[in-house]
Amino acid sequence: MHITFVKKIKTDGTPCRKCAEVQARLEKDNYIRKIDEIVIADENNKNSKGMRLAKEYGIEQAPFFIVDDEKKGIAIYTVYFKFISEIFNEKINEKEIAKEILDADHNLDYI
Amino acid sequence: MSTIFNPEKLANEYENESPEKIIKLALENFNNIAISFSGAEDVVLIDIAKKIQSDVKVFSLDTGRLHAETYRFIEQVREHYKIEIDVLSPDTKSLQEFVYKKGLYSFYKDGHKECCGIRKVVPLRRKLSTLNAWITGQRKDQSPGTRITVPVVENDGAFSTPENKLMKFNPLSNWSSTQVWEYIRSNDVPFNNLHEQGFISIGCEPCTRPVLPNQHEREGRWWWEDATQKECGLHAGNLKK
Repeated sequence: MHITFVKKIKTDGTPCRKCAEVQARLEKDNYIRKIDEIVIADENNKNSKGMRLAKEYGIEQAPFFIVDDEKKGIAIYTVYFKFISEIFNEKINEKEIAKEILDADHNLDYI
Repeated sequence: MSTIFNPEKLANEYENESPEKIIKLALENFNNIAISFSGAEDVVLIDIAKKIQSDVKVFSLDTGRLHAETYRFIEQVREHYKIEIDVLSPDTKSLQEFVYKKGLYSFYKDGHKECCGIRKVVPLRRKLSTLNAWITGQRKDQSPGTRITVPVVENDGAFSTPENKLMKFNPLSNWSSTQVWEYIRSNDVPFNNLHEQGFISIGCEPCTRPVLPNQHEREGRWWWEDATQKECGLHAGNLKK
């Protein structure tokens, strides 16, 4: 299994708020060591690897994770708690997942 | 479910198709599929679907905080179309804990997402885990200032699980609010009385208000919150020229 963490760097060189939060969580939860590759989606460079991956997989929001499993194929995660729940079998409070799902998709507000 | 269903390919093929054709595509390919009905103008989904198939499945999220008009409208729709509507409630224990800890109006202080998470997303997640596909009334024009796309059909990454790959159809994606209302009027579709009181977007009572002419519907929702937290969007359009 190969896990890629894609985070966005804004035009001013700083990471986006959510990307910084997720990276801090990865470090706090000690999952950062399980990330094989950290890729930057640079807002100043549409050809940066992260921007190209976002385009390739049709991802609209950063951060996201690409999990390439030899048996199951490629899965994309835009919700951190869902990612650690499904990939690392971490038991997560459903409320936390729900809140993050809303964060990742503003259109869900209208459901 | 059809053995060959490629959402990326179909999203391109159906991008400029009518909602009728998109709903037909959905109903023809999925048996275990339901329409999400919010008690607002997404009633057009039910109207269209009923003309294609008589036994459509519909669900609504009862947050416990909807307007009385919305509850009455859900009932009106149930009777008008002679359909069953699966009205979903929040988990009692989670909701009680949340209200006990934070009160009934915490969203005015720390944002709507925790409340929406408990009252809407958790029950929605539970419902979607039982389906193979769902149909929503999401439209591109509902989110001003963002360039978030709303494909007419997509893999639902947020609600799919390793055991259940969920498909999501957004047949109204390319319709404007005006087109939705043209459909409602010309097809004599019942509508929520709140629309006559200036409400465009209808959600929970404490979080929805009428808007003035030419105000965007988003301004009728969570008006006390920062309108944009869009800095995480991944679009070439965000690039400096």
